[in-house]
Amino acid sequence: MKRNLSIFLGILFAIVTLSNGQFEKAMGGNIPVVFSSSTPEELQAVINQLSRIGEAEGDRWEPYYYSAYGYIRMSGMFERGEDKDKYLNLAKAEVEKGQAIDPSNSELEALKGYHIMMQLTVDPQSRGMMYSGRAFESFHKAIKMDPDNPRAHYLLGRMEYGTAQFMGGANEQACGSLLKARKLFMKNEEPDRSFSPTWGKESTEAAIKEICEGGE
Amino acid sequence: MKAITVSMSLLLSAMIFGQYEISGMVTDESGEPLLGVNVYLKGTYTGATTDVDGNFSFTVNEEDHLILVASFIGYHVQEIPLEPKSQKLDIQLRVEINQLNAVVITAGSFNVSDGSKKEVLKPLDIVTTAGATADIPGALNTLPGTQQVGETGRLFVRGGEDRETKTFIDGMLVHNEYSPSAPNTPGRSRFSPFMFKGTSFSTGGYSAEYGQALSSALILESKDVGGSDRIDLSLMTVGADIAMERSFDSSSFAGKIQYSNLTPYFALVSQNLDWDKAPQEYSGNFTYRLKTGKTGLLKLYTNLSTSDLELYEAEITDPEINLPVKVTNDYAYVNASYRTFLNDKWTIRTGASFTKSSDFASLDEASREQDLVGYHTKVVADYLQSDRMSLILGEEVIGRNLHQELIDGEPFKQHLHERISATFSEAELYISTDLAFKIGGRLEHSNLSNRLSLDPRISAAYKIGENSQISFAYGRFRQLSSDQIILFDQDARQEKAIHYISNYQWIKEGQTFRIEGYEKRYNHLTRYENIFDPTTYLSDGSGHARGVDLFWRDSKTFHDLDYWISYSYLQTERNYRDFPGSFTPSFASTHNFSIVTKKFIDKIKSQVGLTYSFASARPYNDLNGERFMSGRTPSYHDLSFNISYLYNNQVIIHAMVNNALGANNIFGYEYADEPGSDGIYASRPITPAAKRFIFLGIFITLSKNKGISQLPNL
Repeated sequence: MKRNLSIFLGILFAIVTLSNGQFEKAMGGNIPVVFSSSTPEELQAVINQLSRIGEAEGDRWEPYYYSAYGYIRMSGMFERGEDKDKYLNLAKAEVEKGQAIDPSNSELEALKGYHIMMQLTVDPQSRGMMYSGRAFESFHKAIKMDPDNPRAHYLLGRMEYGTAQFMGGANEQACGSLLKARKLFMKNEEPDRSFSPTWGKESTEAAIKEICEGGE
Repeated sequence: MKAITVSMSLLLSAMIFGQYEISGMVTDESGEPLLGVNVYLKGTYTGATTDVDGNFSFTVNEEDHLILVASFIGYHVQEIPLEPKSQKLDIQLRVEINQLNAVVITAGSFNVSDGSKKEVLKPLDIVTTAGATADIPGALNTLPGTQQVGETGRLFVRGGEDRETKTFIDGMLVHNEYSPSAPNTPGRSRFSPFMFKGTSFSTGGYSAEYGQALSSALILESKDVGGSDRIDLSLMTVGADIAMERSFDSSSFAGKIQYSNLTPYFALVSQNLDWDKAPQEYSGNFTYRLKTGKTGLLKLYTNLSTSDLELYEAEITDPEINLPVKVTNDYAYVNASYRTFLNDKWTIRTGASFTKSSDFASLDEASREQDLVGYHTKVVADYLQSDRMSLILGEEVIGRNLHQELIDGEPFKQHLHERISATFSEAELYISTDLAFKIGGRLEHSNLSNRLSLDPRISAAYKIGENSQISFAYGRFRQLSSDQIILFDQDARQEKAIHYISNYQWIKEGQTFRIEGYEKRYNHLTRYENIFDPTTYLSDGSGHARGVDLFWRDSKTFHDLDYWISYSYLQTERNYRDFPGSFTPSFASTHNFSIVTKKFIDKIKSQVGLTYSFASARPYNDLNGERFMSGRTPSYHDLSFNISYLYNNQVIIHAMVNNALGANNIFGYEYADEPGSDGIYASRPITPAAKRFIFLGIFITLSKNKGISQLPNL
């Protein structure tokens, strides 16, 4: 009896440690690939891995965050609007899976806005009104959920810049958001040990340079 | 002892985590390898992605969860239970039929939306088309299948009268969809294009869901819950309006109040008409959207307006004698619709609409007063059996109570209570992504003629190439005779039309080509010798319309320039009303041509548009001619121009001129009731009230999100 119990505990221990380390290891290995992949094939492979992780875990939003991010990147690798829409729709589905797990997550809300913003750029002439409203709504909502989320400010800044370009307005508002994002990136300098998103610092700097400093 | 236990448990672990190799190949139904398929063990991290040859392989450590899943975008997920041993598997995935890959039945229909579906026009196109004056029928009149009938501003489709086109908002019928106008001047649709996210304009062969329209169905879908808070102000040469939009978590409200008055405009631009009181209208449009539960959506839509105009019309026989004309209208339309998904398979749509319209028109001493109360209720169940088959089943009641009083000396009153009850059903079948069928029928009962009728509707589409497809449609349609007829003769048989349509469509990113041939046969049209004598009514009139419609749209070839070209050829004759045989009616022209261009010019931050429309001669009945319908009008030309200048984020200035070149368009002739002493009927040409129509407007947006302006509106 006692022996059976120890065997059972032994196996349980093995499984538990394995699965714990497994998530960290798998996420740690896959996240950089989402950013480094340069072909749709590579991206699809890592998205597949992330969706397996997401499905197996069932209560973690992070895998879906990155698979959605992967699909947004993927949409940028195609020229035809139809293809872009296809991958952006997949990104939307991944964001929704994540939000079903964690509805008040600022990062997911910001990503939702990002995906809407990309949908808008597929056909700005006719999607402009409807999609810009929805994108702004998501960014503002994301900031409300976590005022210190630098990505929400960065993406808001990009949206404001895009709108100003389209409408021929000034960039002050966009720069305000981008500078706010920069400040928050500085503040959150130390690396996060969880798998929460950390991207966006370099893009923010590049955008500030181009939009806010370049013209002056 | 302890050592044994430990080693035993290690051994057991090793046994349990025995390793197997799973490999194989994933293909589609035709045996083509699929790249990027996610093949994995359900509930685990273990799996692989197929390579360019469709191959995968991975090592399995687990013994539980031995269900293999193959999942790929656009295909049905497949699950395969596995034995715990090394094995090689060939997996075939079935394509999932969806909006992106499936063939779409296009015979007879133009879809206007900004979804990813292959639409012909976008909502924005309706408002940016020069010459259309932001009027839905105005823009649709640049599509093939329509005939320019400039004195009405209405939609005349493929040899059909204007009343043969019916408008539906969120599935519900609209009565009296045009604003009133002075005799022989164009009216506008009451419904602003800004309120709708999708428009489906069918020039024939439409779904069994739509009845009481012989020629065409204009199906408008109002916007869903919006995402913005904004106030828009418009100042125009014809009036002013204020619109606001508020959205909340699960609901939104939009409203627009408008006042228009043409007095200042008419003071500046001289008119052929002698206005006593230029057209004036107060109107309000309100929408409310509420999301209920997870999938429910309630939409309320209201349109209210009151308008009037007064002018003097000269006698044809003596231009010195001017008779007063007065027109007033009070209108209310309320529409509520609700849609919810019961589960994966069933969706319920239900709605009700109510129209009240009071019209008064007088010419000198004679007048006509008409009160209409219309209603429409509908329940539809959508059943989605799979991605290959769906079914709709619905029931509706359409009713109208019409009271009319004619005063010309003695008052003459007439009443009408009509009620059409219908049951309809339609199945949509996808044999593959390339072949689709729609088969339906409509069972209808009219209380007036007390007849039951069954009308089949069939259509099919087949993809013949990556970018091209053919489709066909056949259908039988029926509609009550015009109000003037049924007021006199309530049991008049319904008029009937049969449509045969074949269509070829080629779409490639930024370019669309369509050619459509059709044949339409009319039966049971009402004939009479004297419209005021119902004993002369016969329901054996007939007619036909046949023709070819061509459409080409291209936004790719020229940088920043978007244009489309429409051409319609129509051959039609009817033996109806008091025609002494089969003749082409006066609203039909053989050739109709339009070219619409739009260009955004960065340098001047403006969108400019140019539209040219042409219609060949129309017949008219020359009372002094030797034969019936022997007159021919000159052909019709119109070159219209518009420009929208983006002053800044919040302000847009819009200008437009219709018939910029000032062509002398004549739509027909009016004749005196009696011939003069010389035996000749005095006549007068029907012409536009002014050669050109000029419009100037400033649109201002006040919005929380400063980025949003009315640009996408213009």
